[in-house]
Amino acid sequence: MMTDLPTILNRRAFLGTAGNSFGAAALTAMMAKGDTSSLPHPALRLAPKAKRVIYMFQSGGPSHIDLFDGSPFLIKNHGKHLPPEVKGEQRVTGMTAGMKNFPVAKPVAPIRQCGPAGAWISDLLPWTQKIADKICLVRSMNTEAINHDPAITFINTGTMQLGKASLGAWLSYGLGSETENFPSYMVMLSQGTGKNPGQPIYSRLWGSGFLPSEHQGVLLRAGADPVLYLDNPPGVKRTQRRGQLDDLARLNQAFAEQTGDPETIARIQAYEMSYRMQASVPELTDLSKEPDSTFDLYGPESRKPGTYAANCLMARRLVERGVRCVQLFHRGWDQHIALQSQLPRQCQDTDQPSAALVLDLEKRGLLDETLVIWGGEFGRTVYQQGQLDSTGAGRDHHGRAFSIWMAGGGIKGGITYGETDDYCWSVAKDPVHIRDLNATILHQLGIDHNRLVFPYRGLDEKITGVEPAHPVKGILT
Amino acid sequence: MNWQYLPIFLLLTLVTQGQTPEVSFNRDIQPILARNCFACHGPDEHERKAKLRLDTAEGFLTGGSSKEPVTVAGKPGDSILWERMVSNDPDEIMPPPDSHKEISAEEKTLIREWIKQGARYEGHWAFITPSLPALPDIEEKNPIDRFVGDRLSNEGLAFSLEADRRTLARRLHLDLTGLPPSKQQMAGFLSDGKANAYENLVTRLLNSPHFGEQLALPWLDASRYADTNGYSIDGGRDAWLWRDWVIKAFNENMPYDQFLTEQLAGDLLEKPSSSQLIATAYNRHHSVTHEGGTIGEENLVNYAVDRVKTTGESIMGLTTGCGQCHDHKYDPLKQVEYYKLFAFFNTLDDHGHDGDRGVNPRPFIEAKTPLSTDAEVASVKIELQRAEKELASPAPTLQATWEKDVARELKRIGQEFQLISLDHLTATLPNGDPNRIQVKKNESVEAAGGDFSAYNVCCRIPEGTGVVTGLRVMFEPANRGKVGFGGKSMPGGFVMSTITPCFNPFPAKNIDLNTATPYDRVTASSFKPGFRPELVHDTSRRIGWAPALSEVDKEQHLTITFQEPIDTTNQPYLTTELVFNYGEGASPKKFRLALIKGTDDTSMLPEALRKAIALAPEHRTTSQIEFIRDYFNAHSRAKSPARHHVSNLKKRLEVLTGNHRIMVMNTSKKPRVTHVLERGFYADKRQAVKPGVPAFLPALEVPDDRDLNRLDLARWLVRPDHPLTSRVAVNRFWQMLFGRGIVESSADFGTQGKWPAHPELLDWLALTFQNSGWNVKDLIRRIVTSRTYRQSSNTTPELLERDPLNEFLARGPRFRLSAEMIRDHALATSGLLVRRIGGPSVKPYHPGDLWRQVSHYGSTPATSQTYVQDHGENLYRRSIYTYWKRTLPPPGMAAFDAPNREACTTGRGVTNTPLQAFILMNDPQYVEASRALAQQLLSEEGSDQERLFRAFEHVTSRSPRQDELEILKTAIARERARYRGDPSGARSLLAVGESLHNPDLPAAEHAAWTNLCGLLLNLSESVTRR
Repeated sequence: MMTDLPTILNRRAFLGTAGNSFGAAALTAMMAKGDTSSLPHPALRLAPKAKRVIYMFQSGGPSHIDLFDGSPFLIKNHGKHLPPEVKGEQRVTGMTAGMKNFPVAKPVAPIRQCGPAGAWISDLLPWTQKIADKICLVRSMNTEAINHDPAITFINTGTMQLGKASLGAWLSYGLGSETENFPSYMVMLSQGTGKNPGQPIYSRLWGSGFLPSEHQGVLLRAGADPVLYLDNPPGVKRTQRRGQLDDLARLNQAFAEQTGDPETIARIQAYEMSYRMQASVPELTDLSKEPDSTFDLYGPESRKPGTYAANCLMARRLVERGVRCVQLFHRGWDQHIALQSQLPRQCQDTDQPSAALVLDLEKRGLLDETLVIWGGEFGRTVYQQGQLDSTGAGRDHHGRAFSIWMAGGGIKGGITYGETDDYCWSVAKDPVHIRDLNATILHQLGIDHNRLVFPYRGLDEKITGVEPAHPVKGILT
Repeated sequence: MNWQYLPIFLLLTLVTQGQTPEVSFNRDIQPILARNCFACHGPDEHERKAKLRLDTAEGFLTGGSSKEPVTVAGKPGDSILWERMVSNDPDEIMPPPDSHKEISAEEKTLIREWIKQGARYEGHWAFITPSLPALPDIEEKNPIDRFVGDRLSNEGLAFSLEADRRTLARRLHLDLTGLPPSKQQMAGFLSDGKANAYENLVTRLLNSPHFGEQLALPWLDASRYADTNGYSIDGGRDAWLWRDWVIKAFNENMPYDQFLTEQLAGDLLEKPSSSQLIATAYNRHHSVTHEGGTIGEENLVNYAVDRVKTTGESIMGLTTGCGQCHDHKYDPLKQVEYYKLFAFFNTLDDHGHDGDRGVNPRPFIEAKTPLSTDAEVASVKIELQRAEKELASPAPTLQATWEKDVARELKRIGQEFQLISLDHLTATLPNGDPNRIQVKKNESVEAAGGDFSAYNVCCRIPEGTGVVTGLRVMFEPANRGKVGFGGKSMPGGFVMSTITPCFNPFPAKNIDLNTATPYDRVTASSFKPGFRPELVHDTSRRIGWAPALSEVDKEQHLTITFQEPIDTTNQPYLTTELVFNYGEGASPKKFRLALIKGTDDTSMLPEALRKAIALAPEHRTTSQIEFIRDYFNAHSRAKSPARHHVSNLKKRLEVLTGNHRIMVMNTSKKPRVTHVLERGFYADKRQAVKPGVPAFLPALEVPDDRDLNRLDLARWLVRPDHPLTSRVAVNRFWQMLFGRGIVESSADFGTQGKWPAHPELLDWLALTFQNSGWNVKDLIRRIVTSRTYRQSSNTTPELLERDPLNEFLARGPRFRLSAEMIRDHALATSGLLVRRIGGPSVKPYHPGDLWRQVSHYGSTPATSQTYVQDHGENLYRRSIYTYWKRTLPPPGMAAFDAPNREACTTGRGVTNTPLQAFILMNDPQYVEASRALAQQLLSEEGSDQERLFRAFEHVTSRSPRQDELEILKTAIARERARYRGDPSGARSLLAVGESLHNPDLPAAEHAAWTNLCGLLLNLSESVTRR
């Protein structure tokens, strides 16, 4: 029995629009077998703890020494040389490789123990201190990379090599979209005031690599055109656009039927989504209905589009509207110089809004199902780069040990995980490689990272790469 | 019946129904083993379990530790392979549960059947030198059709009818030139009644200069060609000479073996020409880092790895990446063999940390463009003369309007002018000691000098200030009595590259580019020749405003006037970024900011002009009249298209006649020694290796007196017994014309790759290609004149269900145009396209300055950190010439699935997203194209019906049906009604884009037709090649 053309076209159109996502591909395979009992796909067999992710990426390498991992030991040993047996064979970047000795520099501000587990958190982060009972501080993060490009590419795409897919694209591919009004992966950029401009960032970090390009992160920008070319040309009204789209759809539909082209049906649907986005995006970015209490919570800068604070608020609004993965890239953490003045500014920009986002999600009952991550591509050296204690002195990159925090989405709050040695140089207990972090993120979303694969150039590509990776069970509720 | 072509589901049906088709090891069994077993029982000896390998005949015979053969012919029950696959014992079952691999029930059926049928092992097809297959004995003239026809009849299918002539002409034009047929070309073809009209069209298109552009594009993807260095800072580089070399090679039909040889080893040929040196840039298109802190040695390894990868995938269809760390898991490439390949590409004088300041990563040479012809030089010279004449020629109407504007401006200068002093709060800089910049007494900012400094200054605006119109920065002479620190060419001065103001409700320490306040008019107290104040609109670091050197011991100021007055009541803070990026220390010593009310009291109009303009025209002297005219030509906005035209032509002449830099390959006097790197880590060196090729491919003998080099490698690749090169090449040309290759995985012919849909056709094409002297145009002619290619692409539900991917080829291919072709199609259709071939990459429209938002702009001497849009003809060049920044590729291209060119790509995906709709409907490039197309239509006589007909036909290359015309009629009626009462709405639509439009056309009518044309350019049919 032969199915008629419209049925085939419609079915293929459905698969065509969603057919590039992993779930849909699996679905197709199962529909073909007439077997829907075994849903979902093997990669999605885990029970998800979180539905969505907000990743507040701190680009440049926030100093774990100053913010999360300092201790009285460092204060006591300020100015003494880092013992060679501690430093070991660790390679350092070309910027400090030539230094004769490596003087330990204490945190630039007081750091105190907070929350039930006594997590060390700097006085530069008073708001983060206050949410210590809600976050899990991981102090044993590590990566092999020691320079920005390899490090930020590694943590965001799973390898230091170019050409791979980003974490957000993997999530979009693996989970598909929850909403018909927004792309499933959206990205916002901001620049800190500590160091301007910060290290460059780039589309690779939210790109789709070898995955279908519909999974690339869509930039949400401040200003008049939040999504590129969202607005109609001048002199074209919304009602007029509706009419144009109706005509276009009629002509396209006729073409599709004439030629039997399912791609065209998918294209009609994409145009329809563009029309919906022309309404949903302005509604999203219109903050006029947010009460003053919102701005009080996120801080005054949240009123100004494009700031980190505004992006944090926007992240909450995006997950409220069903966007699967929201990633903020905030620049300015690369304090090789002037740590004393740059770091406090950088913290001032980010501390309140980051904590506010956690509090806000909690208040709205969204925190349980939203995985929140705060962290960068590596940490910074315990030793001083430049003249010890001078206003121009800073810290170099350090991948061997660094700190991040997570909250919500099935992550235990109020704990610290992992330890470093006295010099915060190496991981002493419970190491968490950045691969493990990515495996954990997938795990919380119900994905087995070993099974979410995409065959490309002879390899089953995964976000965790070829080395073993494990979700960090110790931090899960 | 030929079972070889049986689709797997049919095969299974037959197997389960008790019929016994032949199971092919290579097609049916090997992929199952490769996917499920090779990781532990494949080529990688370090990972090999139980000493068993299933990727060689020997492995099957001798078995693993048990020493028993893996299969017993005809007896699945006695075969270990089968036993282990169906075992119930979790310790016995293969693949083991923790591998996350599973062999499906269908696959098991196939394996059992294969063993029953004798368990015949075959080597991997792609590694065996092809032999010329016999042509199937069916009645078709073109051998391609014999293979495809035979396959179709085995499937119980038949060729579709030939596509109609219009569709064929459009298909052929798009495939061979990337451009749609013009009206005349279409008419010419349709009226050509000769039997060989189609063949003649093929010949014409193969000889079109656009053929080379179209063929070059996929090769640019494969060769990861781009205009920037990649990695984090991603500064500019010069690579375009190579792109032009590729275009020329295809246009001149350079034999493909030579094409590869010159790119791999042009420098090693005897007395290489500069063209042959340019070709070697192929191996330099990898990313190069100039991030501080880089360890050079580590990156030199990355670069060579990328060369091996690209050569492997783009020429051999071989994925090599695994070999960097360990023996390949799926293909018989050992780690040591990987490093032998690596050694070929590790002998040049390159540097791991290189390419900053717009200086190319070494080694590079200077050369003339291979595309320059005497004819073009001569014609550009003539064009230039004309353009200069045009610029100098009087434009009385425009000049009169301008004179009125000038007179009005002169009258207004300084009207109600008022300076509002500001409370300076903070000042920041990106690099060095933060104390280098300091706010003094809240009144001014003092800087201690330095280069590449984006200073951000935050000021509080006094309460009650209200509406302001502009901003003034005043620079004071400081110690030693000069305004700036400039040395060399700017003694005592400075250069302001750009200035960006931003109003805020709170004291932001930095500006936000998204919400910056736009400004128009810029004036200054004085300027150094070549550094006029309005140049601060251009963000390039070496272009900007500098005060006159004679004035640097006096206070200097620069004033910008906002596009719209700003009410400061609810945003009482002003943050301004002042960028001093020129170099040579040319930054200021001390400055303060003030807002202005009223009209700027400075004017850049020279005294002589003011005097002359003030006079009634009849009272002006001849020299005054000339002065006014010259000033109008040189500075008025009305004449800027003419000025751009002249300057673009001058640049073009320089492109054609000058020397340009290009990165190349060379051989170092002291070449690096290549070692096997343990786990691929650059510092963990193991045994030293010499260049060599993998043992599973034809042997390449090492000469007695020297090591092998890239030239040996190139010649080996194109040897007749090489099983991969020619197959990979013909497969990619096929892919270009059919949307998918005969081997779908066009970069992977290894064991994980896809089985060819038409294996014998592939081999026949490969060998015929070789035998023709690697003649690309011959190959393409053979394909496009085939019946297979000329079929209609229309699908029936039956066929769609049977063969959704069109692997059997019972219909013609249909696919969406590439990103580049979509843009080129709009430009060509609208008549805006500028058909110049080659030259430095251009920067067409771009939404804002996306680069600056993510780059190191303001703190680095690196180039390509800010997007400065071109004007004039550079807005309308073909998309292959659009500047490609790897870390932020052109957004209009990225949305249509273009790769970022960070790694070799041999085929693009096709997706449908709302972002594409935004671009085609709202991007100025497309709105302008619609407007230009509408203008064409309106300039010809005709009724609505006739115009709609013509427009549809012009855009889609076919006549509209009646139902389609009806829809278009409603559309134009609606659009007309929309603009009838709203001329200003119409005018604002028509103002999109920099090309001039005919002001004599009624605005409402022109706007309505603009939207109608936009509708047509958005048709799925317009962006589909079918």
